[in-house]
Amino acid sequence: MDRVVAWFCRLVFVFLYVPIVAVVVYSFNASEVSYRFTGLTTHWYSDLFHDDRLLATLRTSIVVGVLAALVATAIGFLTAFSLARFQVKGRAFFLGAILIPLIVPEIVIGVSLLEVFSSIGMQTGILTLVLGHIVITLPLATLVQMGAMAALDPSLSEAATDLGATGWITFRRVLFPLLRPSVLAAFLLSFTTSFSNIVISTFTSGVGSTTLPLRIYSSLRTGLTPELNALGTLLVLFTLVVIFLVGVRQMRRILA
Amino acid sequence: MSASTATAPARGLRAPARGTLLGYLLLLPAVAVIVLLVIVPMAVIARQSFALSDPLLGGTMGGFTWDNYAKLFDPVYAKTMGYSLGLAALNAAVCLVVGYLLAFYISTRPANRQPVLLMLVIIPFLTDFLVRTFAWITLLGSGGPYVRIARALGFDASSLVPSQFAVIMSLLYAFLPVAVFPIYASMRAIDPSLREAASDLGAGWWQTHRRIFIPLSATGIGSSIMLTFVPTLGVFVIPVLLGGGKDPLVGNLIVTLFTEFRNEPMGAAMSMVVLVLMLASVAVITGLLRLLSIRSNRRAA
Repeated sequence: MDRVVAWFCRLVFVFLYVPIVAVVVYSFNASEVSYRFTGLTTHWYSDLFHDDRLLATLRTSIVVGVLAALVATAIGFLTAFSLARFQVKGRAFFLGAILIPLIVPEIVIGVSLLEVFSSIGMQTGILTLVLGHIVITLPLATLVQMGAMAALDPSLSEAATDLGATGWITFRRVLFPLLRPSVLAAFLLSFTTSFSNIVISTFTSGVGSTTLPLRIYSSLRTGLTPELNALGTLLVLFTLVVIFLVGVRQMRRILA
Repeated sequence: MSASTATAPARGLRAPARGTLLGYLLLLPAVAVIVLLVIVPMAVIARQSFALSDPLLGGTMGGFTWDNYAKLFDPVYAKTMGYSLGLAALNAAVCLVVGYLLAFYISTRPANRQPVLLMLVIIPFLTDFLVRTFAWITLLGSGGPYVRIARALGFDASSLVPSQFAVIMSLLYAFLPVAVFPIYASMRAIDPSLREAASDLGAGWWQTHRRIFIPLSATGIGSSIMLTFVPTLGVFVIPVLLGGGKDPLVGNLIVTLFTEFRNEPMGAAMSMVVLVLMLASVAVITGLLRLLSIRSNRRAA
């Protein structure tokens, strides 16, 4: 039976990669009509770089992603630091509260934000997108950094204190340099989460602030084009780069 | 996301008890985000779900009514509700079985190979959701690999997009990694010698899992159901792109009610249903887990 499970799992791994490989392969397909494979080309890629409307949505997504990730990483750092270093009463309560956005279905967060923004007369646009994305990236940013802080050797800060360093100096010269990789990881994961978000963006974007996923979604409704496969391939590549930069150990800390 | 990281007491950075005020101050920004951008908005939605809708202009007119909830039993809404719950249950069940087997498989590989296998699950998980969805159009659509291979084998195959099969496959593809992670996290904590002990004592494959691995990974199994069942209800991209929009899920209904019909109170009521189902699933699962641990403690004693 174990052997059957092993074979089944190998098939599952194939299942996980067949779709990704298909996107990559078809992005080089010369045929424009349907999916008849007629030869190799890279001109879908050059088309992408000349699609001004697409590039505009890409710019929006990058701006929103960077802003949301910066804020989420900073707030996540403060939160994680507080929970890891200080004996705060109701620690479990605070942690639970910060993890709410992971439990509540995204669509509920999205519609409730829309209602609040419209009831206070706030125009949807870059700002509302950023606020929405902060909500969903904050739990991730907090967890990544909290994991790294829990793994630090406590004797390091004790040693610094024994050697006469004040709290601030200990933080700046000893703790922060050690935590820097996890800050970067939190930023990258938050950026990726924001960059690929579609649910929150559906409700918080406005006229002229269409994000890349919203644009992909609306073109998909009229049909899949080879350009989209090319774009998909670039996004897969981007994912691989992010995972490489974040590292397996950090990923494992939050996911499993 | 795993419960183990979330609840583990921090060891590394403990400071002296003084400076606790600073600790609370540091929590302030996060609390502000959660209160202002999650709690208050959900309270607003809860309020809206009892409001009267403006039949002419759309939007809300205030007031108080149970009508929006009563309308959920109208055939139009009830049908979508029933279909969504069925599909979500199916997806959660398939994700659970496949996720469990995959998590078990990974956790029983040599320690140095586990990170690689885990990484193979993480890569698709972090790949853009839309890319993972439209990949299925490529695979199953007209002229795609599925049709060509099936025809080459002599079957009379045609495009599977749109179809329910395509919806189910892409839902499974979207949710499988989330089902694997928590189960793997609890499997990793299980002493590997238990497996040998079980087989030495003559337990078969199924018995080993039923008596040892399933109870010991119950927390992970619970989280995996929580992360797949109710969230499937809120999906709206997959039914449109792969199902042709014929069988909408609750998520599609919510989007339509808000963005097209501008019937915000009705949309709010539907969102509340999703939220309440989520809370109910969390309550039921944690309740069951507690029951299970009481039972096993009693047996041990």
